[in-house]
Amino acid sequence: MMPDQVFFAYMSSRDQDPVSCDADSLGAFETRWLAEVVRLREEAHGSPVDTAAVRAAVDRAQGVEARILARACQLGVHDGTLGALRAWRARTRVVMWVLLGFALISGFGAALAVLGDGSRPVNVVWALGGLLGVNLFSLVLWFGGLWLGGADAGGVFGRGWLWISRRISSLGDSGVHVPRALVGLMGRAGLTRWWLGAVTHGLWLLALCGALAGLLIALSVRSYGFVWETTILPADAFTTLVGRLGWLPALAGFGIPDAETVRASGSAVITHEAGRLAWSSWLTGCLVVYGVVPRALLWAGCLTYVRLGRNRLRLDLALPAYTALAARYAPTSDRIGVTDAAPGALPSARIRMPHRVGSHAAAIVGLELRSGLGWPPALAPEIEQIGVLDSREQRRQAIARLEASPPARLLIACDARLSPDRGSLELIAELSRHAGDCRVWLIVPATLRERARVIHWRDALVDAGFGARAIFDDATAAITWLECGGDAA
Amino acid sequence: MLHSRTNPVRIAVVGHTNTGKTSLMRTLTRDAGFGEVSSRPSTTRHVEGARLIVDGEVLVELYDTPGMEDPIALLEMLDRMDSPDDERLDGPARVERFLANPVHRGRFEQEGKVLKQMLASDAALYVIDARDPVLAKHRDELAILGSCAIPLLPVLNFVSSVESGEAAWREALSRLGLHAVVRFDTVAPERDGERRLYETLGMLVGPHRPLLDRLVAGREREAAVRHTAAMRLVAELLIDVAACRIEVVDDSSTGLDAAVNDLNERVRQREQHCVEALLGLYRFRPDDVDADHLPLIDGRWESDLFNPETLRDLGVKLGTGAVAGAAAGAGIDLMVGGITLGAAAALGALAGGGWQALRHFGDRFVGTLTGKHQLAVNDAILRILALRQLHLVRALEARGHAAVEPIGKLVAESGKWREGTLPRPLHRARSHREWSGLDGSVGDEGGRSDAIEALRQLMEHEPEWGAEQS
Repeated sequence: MMPDQVFFAYMSSRDQDPVSCDADSLGAFETRWLAEVVRLREEAHGSPVDTAAVRAAVDRAQGVEARILARACQLGVHDGTLGALRAWRARTRVVMWVLLGFALISGFGAALAVLGDGSRPVNVVWALGGLLGVNLFSLVLWFGGLWLGGADAGGVFGRGWLWISRRISSLGDSGVHVPRALVGLMGRAGLTRWWLGAVTHGLWLLALCGALAGLLIALSVRSYGFVWETTILPADAFTTLVGRLGWLPALAGFGIPDAETVRASGSAVITHEAGRLAWSSWLTGCLVVYGVVPRALLWAGCLTYVRLGRNRLRLDLALPAYTALAARYAPTSDRIGVTDAAPGALPSARIRMPHRVGSHAAAIVGLELRSGLGWPPALAPEIEQIGVLDSREQRRQAIARLEASPPARLLIACDARLSPDRGSLELIAELSRHAGDCRVWLIVPATLRERARVIHWRDALVDAGFGARAIFDDATAAITWLECGGDAA
Repeated sequence: MLHSRTNPVRIAVVGHTNTGKTSLMRTLTRDAGFGEVSSRPSTTRHVEGARLIVDGEVLVELYDTPGMEDPIALLEMLDRMDSPDDERLDGPARVERFLANPVHRGRFEQEGKVLKQMLASDAALYVIDARDPVLAKHRDELAILGSCAIPLLPVLNFVSSVESGEAAWREALSRLGLHAVVRFDTVAPERDGERRLYETLGMLVGPHRPLLDRLVAGREREAAVRHTAAMRLVAELLIDVAACRIEVVDDSSTGLDAAVNDLNERVRQREQHCVEALLGLYRFRPDDVDADHLPLIDGRWESDLFNPETLRDLGVKLGTGAVAGAAAGAGIDLMVGGITLGAAAALGALAGGGWQALRHFGDRFVGTLTGKHQLAVNDAILRILALRQLHLVRALEARGHAAVEPIGKLVAESGKWREGTLPRPLHRARSHREWSGLDGSVGDEGGRSDAIEALRQLMEHEPEWGAEQS
């Protein structure tokens, strides 16, 4: 495994259900990252025509998320998003290598600077502060950031690395969305601070390793004398301090200068071998135990946390863009199609055209009329009122009555609010056979909202054989025709 | 992809001609392109099916049928069918005999299709136009359908119409022995109309009930996800607009005008983007028949966002933040540095924003010293954006139900958005210019998505900030 891969929690991992874009490339996390990039890109620039990708996704994967990922792969390969993602990742690696090198060299240099060139004795307390002080301060800040939360937690180095990596991304359209997608994805999973923490701790770890190396090399090839100095503190304070600080490293096998040596170092530079070795061992032990080990533990902890979190990570399907895709991948309904086809032509009723009958009487009949239509209208007494037809029996009686004495003029009143149906038209046709001349009066209430129904009635009546003049929607005209005949109205 | 462990429930959608059977199909399938809908009678002349799917499993099959047109004559014919050899037939047997004889079918081709589908179904929904009077033909129709021996559930359509004769229908139906009746307005269904429809149907179909229960649960889950997504879209809009701040390079009044117009236009476009995303989320196309019932015209809000009338209509007062100079126009604050944003916003930013917020505070401080001008969108505009979008979400979720009311009615609802202190995430956004995608840059993901998330949760879980129906 490449060392930088160890640093980047987002790298590698081909362990889990890879929805492979092309066989060897992306692990589960990278695929989700790619899907996020594709989503952000589409939000910014609109969706491409993706019918083929959608179809391919349906063929290749089961479940909504897997299909969204498969679609993202398909699109990402073609529009260069995948390339941009890889390029950005490569650049972040370069940045990381540079930072790692920088950390190592700084640590190394710091150790050399703290120890000096051997011409002057080493002030042990000062040296320890120089080696660990900044590190401890930054650790406190990191914990503080973690405790207080906020968007900026994660450590200065991690933030800095991300900042530089984002600044260098000039990879075209998709390029800007690559880091955004990563930050968004990590952020929603609550992993940002741990992920950037891993980078921060990793860099510090390397810096401290550099310092350790510098310390060991300098101590190996140069001769240093060790002293401590004070103006106001009693000598016992140093004895206690050295003893307490050395207690933990001693458990790990590092040496502690005994009380005699410590006291002696206060007044003169220790030059005898045992003293030098004890001080060197103590200094190294403190650096390892208070510097290297905590950072290593935190780094490993952050990394483990991120890895675990990353394996649990799923796309947030409640994001609007994914909801829309989900509707396409897991439709809530599906058409079966026509199971019983429409006939070529529907049977339609035909009226009997005006013909001569024996009588000169006139009759009026209402069809499925309800109350509130002003029915029956005021009519001359000689007009025969057949009443309102609704049920089968009423129809039968009315037809029998008309058959017995067919009128010369029959006016059929219909409620224009109802839909004209074949049953009503059949009845109208039947009635027309038993009258010399038959016309229809559409009663249109003033409150009728759907004027379209009147038009449908007219169309249906014309289809059945009525002339346009044989259809009234005005009461006066209809009744005048009924009472007087002719087309005077 | 589609599978069914058990046989799905087959439901025929039947009714007199022109009562809205295909509309009911469209509403239940959420497929605005299903079949053909028109005010003309006998539009549907074939039987067409659709599957209702939850988690990839087909739970229900719905069949749209042609309208019954001549039930009186058909019942007469069916009644005559036993007579020849005095053999008494029960309902289904008579229907089968009718269907078996092609001669009978001629005039009753359409009704034949309906009856055939009835016999092949587990239950039927009888769609009623509640504006129609109860006529003999409807009674005969119910008698014919009732003889098919499957549960029949009357569905009262157009109940929200003023001419609705719901009471008369209910009485007539109970006289015919149909006591389970549901109201379901296909144009403007009530919020839980669909659930009640399936629950009532579940009581009638007995063994198939678990399938219908799962359908209801699945639909409610989907609705919840959709609601979350909608709230996120609105939150994104608000954060984008709240965070936006543009610098005025040219200080003259014409330069200022241009900058204000530019900002206005960007905010308008951003709102339109959100409206379109919401329509897409709820699968509305602006040209849908149903879209007539939304408070939009051609998929856009009728009144302009920056028109003072809009503010007045919604009962939003222009904020106390001083609008510096009339040139800035309604809804836009002209600021020297960050002074007009007020101490509260600055404190809020400091409390939650970390060093980036400090940097911005510094920016503004420098701005104050150098006299650099910046434009930002006023609180009042944020309020309107929130109110309008939440109103739209409500209308979309009720499929037009709420939208029948004029927009002025909104004043009574969502009181907090109208005059309360704006939520914290918006205050934070004020000091994070980089969160806004409005000035052409790409919004930052980290803190921005946290703020969007916080705002979404607020709108989703606190009724007074949300789109809950009162």
